[in-house]
Amino acid sequence: MLAATAITRRFGRTLALDRVDFQAYPGEIHALVGENGAGKSTLINIFAGRLKPDRGAVTLDGAALAGGSAHAALQAGIAAVYQSPMLFERMSWEENLALGGFGAGTSRSDLAGAADRARILATRLGFSLPPAGATVERCSVGERVRLEILRALSFDPRVLILDEPTGVLAPAELDAFLYTLRRLRTEGRIVVIVTHKLAEAIAVADRITVLRQGRVAAVRLPTETNAAELARLMIGDVAASAMTADGPSPIVKRVAATPNVEHDAPALVVKNLILVNDGRRLLDDICVSVAAGEIAGVAGVDGNGQRELVEVMAGIRTPTSGGLRVAADRNAMAVIAQNRDLDGLILDLTLWENLLLARALRDRFARGGWLRRSRAKAFCTDVLDRYRIRSAGATSLAVALSGGNRQRLAVARALAGDPRVLVVHDVCRGLDLRATAEVHRRLREFAAAGGAVLLISSDLDELIALSTSLYVMTRGRLVAVAARDRDAERIGLLMSGAAHS
Amino acid sequence: MGATLTGRLAAVARSAAALAIATAIISIVLLALGASPLAVFGDLWRGAFGTWLAATDTLVKSTPLVFTGLAIAIAFQGALWNIGADGQLVMGALAAGAIGPALGGWHHPIAIAAMIAAGAAGGAFWGGLAGWLRARREVNEVISTIMLNFVAAQVLSWAVHGPLMEPSRSFPKSVVIAPAARLAFYLEPSRLNLGMLLALLLALGSQLGLFHSASGFELRALGRNRRASAFFGIPIARLTVGALALSGALAGVGGAVQVSAITHRLYETMSPGWGYEAIAVALVARLNPLAIVPAAILFGALDNGSQAMQRADAVSPVLVNVIQGMVIIILIAFDAAAARGMRAAFFGDADAAATANGEALEARDV
Amino acid sequence: MFEALLASTVAMATPILLAALGELIVERSGVLNIGIEGAMLVGAFCGLAATWFSGSIVLGLLAACAAAVALNALLALLVVNFAVNQVVAGTAIDILALGLTGVFYRQWFGVTGRAITIAPMRPIALGPLARIPWIGSALFAQSALVYLAFALVPIVALVISRTRYGLELRAAGERPEAADALGLGVYRLRWQALMIAGVLSGLAGAYLTMAYSNTFIEGISAGRGYVALSVVIVGRWNAWGVCAAALLFGAAIALQFGLQAFGTAIPYQFFLALPYALTLVVLAFMGGQADAPSALGEPYLRS
Repeated sequence: MLAATAITRRFGRTLALDRVDFQAYPGEIHALVGENGAGKSTLINIFAGRLKPDRGAVTLDGAALAGGSAHAALQAGIAAVYQSPMLFERMSWEENLALGGFGAGTSRSDLAGAADRARILATRLGFSLPPAGATVERCSVGERVRLEILRALSFDPRVLILDEPTGVLAPAELDAFLYTLRRLRTEGRIVVIVTHKLAEAIAVADRITVLRQGRVAAVRLPTETNAAELARLMIGDVAASAMTADGPSPIVKRVAATPNVEHDAPALVVKNLILVNDGRRLLDDICVSVAAGEIAGVAGVDGNGQRELVEVMAGIRTPTSGGLRVAADRNAMAVIAQNRDLDGLILDLTLWENLLLARALRDRFARGGWLRRSRAKAFCTDVLDRYRIRSAGATSLAVALSGGNRQRLAVARALAGDPRVLVVHDVCRGLDLRATAEVHRRLREFAAAGGAVLLISSDLDELIALSTSLYVMTRGRLVAVAARDRDAERIGLLMSGAAHS
Repeated sequence: MGATLTGRLAAVARSAAALAIATAIISIVLLALGASPLAVFGDLWRGAFGTWLAATDTLVKSTPLVFTGLAIAIAFQGALWNIGADGQLVMGALAAGAIGPALGGWHHPIAIAAMIAAGAAGGAFWGGLAGWLRARREVNEVISTIMLNFVAAQVLSWAVHGPLMEPSRSFPKSVVIAPAARLAFYLEPSRLNLGMLLALLLALGSQLGLFHSASGFELRALGRNRRASAFFGIPIARLTVGALALSGALAGVGGAVQVSAITHRLYETMSPGWGYEAIAVALVARLNPLAIVPAAILFGALDNGSQAMQRADAVSPVLVNVIQGMVIIILIAFDAAAARGMRAAFFGDADAAATANGEALEARDV
Repeated sequence: MFEALLASTVAMATPILLAALGELIVERSGVLNIGIEGAMLVGAFCGLAATWFSGSIVLGLLAACAAAVALNALLALLVVNFAVNQVVAGTAIDILALGLTGVFYRQWFGVTGRAITIAPMRPIALGPLARIPWIGSALFAQSALVYLAFALVPIVALVISRTRYGLELRAAGERPEAADALGLGVYRLRWQALMIAGVLSGLAGAYLTMAYSNTFIEGISAGRGYVALSVVIVGRWNAWGVCAAALLFGAAIALQFGLQAFGTAIPYQFFLALPYALTLVVLAFMGGQADAPSALGEPYLRS
């Protein structure tokens, strides 16, 4: 049995976990749900040994776990698979697995042995493996998830922790994944799944622990609860009544798209966009046009060309052929990248300086080559106010902002430049429900005022709720979804029909 | 650390503490060498500031460090590791020393301007070359600038042994520059000259450029996050070449000033390692152009005093290299420890480091 | 004539090769060590000094390695544990080494104009192989360190690409967080790499003062450490490529003396500059970082 008693953990002034108790039994799939920021990641990081609790203890089968070392946790029998990939991209998948528990020799022949052992395990779990010698770089996202799970299992752990595993899987791959989980259960292992998808948790888990703001809100059996109740437990009664687990509140008015803008010329046109790299077609003849007031949603599992598309739109990648046209000048399009810490913010610069990264704002506050510092700072203060970004002021460093506030800043920056077109990629990833609703509202307001939005996301709920037109991106191709096909199941089929397996 | 006052004071305190620790370690080294630390430091001080002449000479010796220090600071702000300030200074000196003799009939201010321009051009060419290699051919600028140092030294050697050699051919030195091209000394017998004023002006200009211009902002952004800079359309290639060219130009002007004010001609060696010393200067100054001036004076004092130290205590002046290296090491170790907490520094604990930073929880999710 | 040039090429390539092999291991583990030059310098000086004081070549070699290892330990503390900027730390190490060797050289041996000399390591002729015409004495009548250097090439190649240890090393250089999560121990691997490189750099420096020549002058390494850095890049981060590149640059240095002896009209400075300029040219065509270990040069703090 995996047990945690009175776990407490702080980060600076934030209390991440407050006297959390947790139990999971052998042969059980235990779901851990909660908003982003509720403490799920912290808790499993403690289980997996990456973090040490300030107070409290974790025991596995009665033996106490010495925290602070992922390696020690591995040896104790706890293996974890995280959201961000931990594979070595340039190495072959055999080498990757050999670095797990499969390989312990010192010569190449053992590399083959490791691969064999991996194959046996994979067959038992119903996995398929990439071709021999393939580097992880060339593997699809689904394959990578499976490789990571394999590697975790190679240590023969008593406990397997999976952090948001289904986020990158296409709907068709989910069945295979469920099969794997059930097999693990019959083997007597403990499986802990962290997820924010309540429907999935209910479908898969044997028991569900709900975390809210660092505390255990409840432990439920899936048979005696439903998504609505879980949502209520996750975010509290009052707030829950304004939201459901399926998306933003129906109370939020759908603003009718009647902009005072000419409809003739679309705001953004992408024509025959092709990007070839290393012999592979990353973008395959992409054509889409977004009119003013329109929110064009692009659904798809990560790794089907979305990142490359965003890079082309941001202008940092040159397409092999084809191109895009924006209605007004070059500053009329603002792009919010998926990875805000790498591509979005410069953490060592101040907030007002981060705002100036947007070209439109740089042009405005850097006329003739000179920075108008005081004006830029004042503008920043105003923006922080308007978008309710909690910070230590315009001259504080971006690193001090929490994740949610960083994203708010990124959105604020994009909108503050008065763009005509907004391209956003997974803009609500990692945000709690409240922040998500807020961002959605701003996107709707932007569209209502005549802006055009290209909404690239892997969150189907978000896409269905917001999009006026919907596309699915698979293998670098963009497929339009007819209105009558706009339900999650159908879209899922479209996504997986041509998706990697 | 950041734009706040406490942040700045803390940074200054760290520089001071680093110097203190370096002093302590040097004392130990001196004892090991059989010299008395007190005597040595006393001689250092006397050599640097003991007399009026010594003090002015300290300022004279600090001037090239201001130019090269500025060069380093600007490049480092863009995370462009210019280790080639020596070579850039030499090329600037070479250009100035080459045209100097021909400026005889020129109006004095114009001749000086020509010398400065030549220095800037020579240095800019040398730095820009490394910048181009980095931007277009992905060549690591650390290696390229160091290689260019060696090449520049040979070009200078060839020049003073060959085409530019002075007529009597008795000693490897170049033709003396025309009187119109020389910067005069003020308050003789001191060697104070207007080149020092130029250095101050350039420091001021660099400060303005770095923190008040759009390009300066873009350079600083580039130095802190390359990917994000690329994403927002910051012209990385252009900045790389431009910043390294500007950096080279500053060093080159330093070389030209040396020729114009002090040496009046070219010799086989024009730099006793200022380009490397400047790294220590720039780091002590936290890459801040205005702070370069006091930092340069500090190291200039060390250089000046070290000769007295050699005479009095028989300790090699190369000791200043040891001091420079140590100061850099202590400073960067201090910065790391301050940013992450001492325990994290030794045992590597990003968790503790995050706690020390007070990072909010959500920042660590995802 | 050709034989002399070949012998010179092999001899000049040796210190570069030794240092570059060490750097290859270090860079594969993810660290960019700019301080090779400093390590070579202290190795050169301490090797000579120890031999001079003790009369024993073996002690000299040991001292050379020990000194370089100590310097690399300082660097390791900075770039691995403190995770500071690797370029700045390496440059500081170089400056420090230059100063330390200079100070102690003058302190112990004075600036008397008389060079401190030792009886250098004698070349070892490999029997009948050394009598092969054209190449025999060039390839098979060299110092022991030369044989060691070239013998290490296949060994290093094998270890890196085919052993478990090499796999772990490469993992540390590709993605240190993942490597640590698997319990591989990135800090340990990088420290080990730097220690091994210390031994090799020490031997490289010792070669300069104890085999190729028999004395020390300040700054004797003359940028060879930086050339070694280029050799790793041009060699595309694998041992055989490094070997080829080291021979290329060794040839450039050997040509220095060879062409000078010809007495051409080209000034001698051209030849002195040749290796460095050649490095630049070769890097301009082959300096791409595409094959570099993914995490090379990035400070890493383990959690």
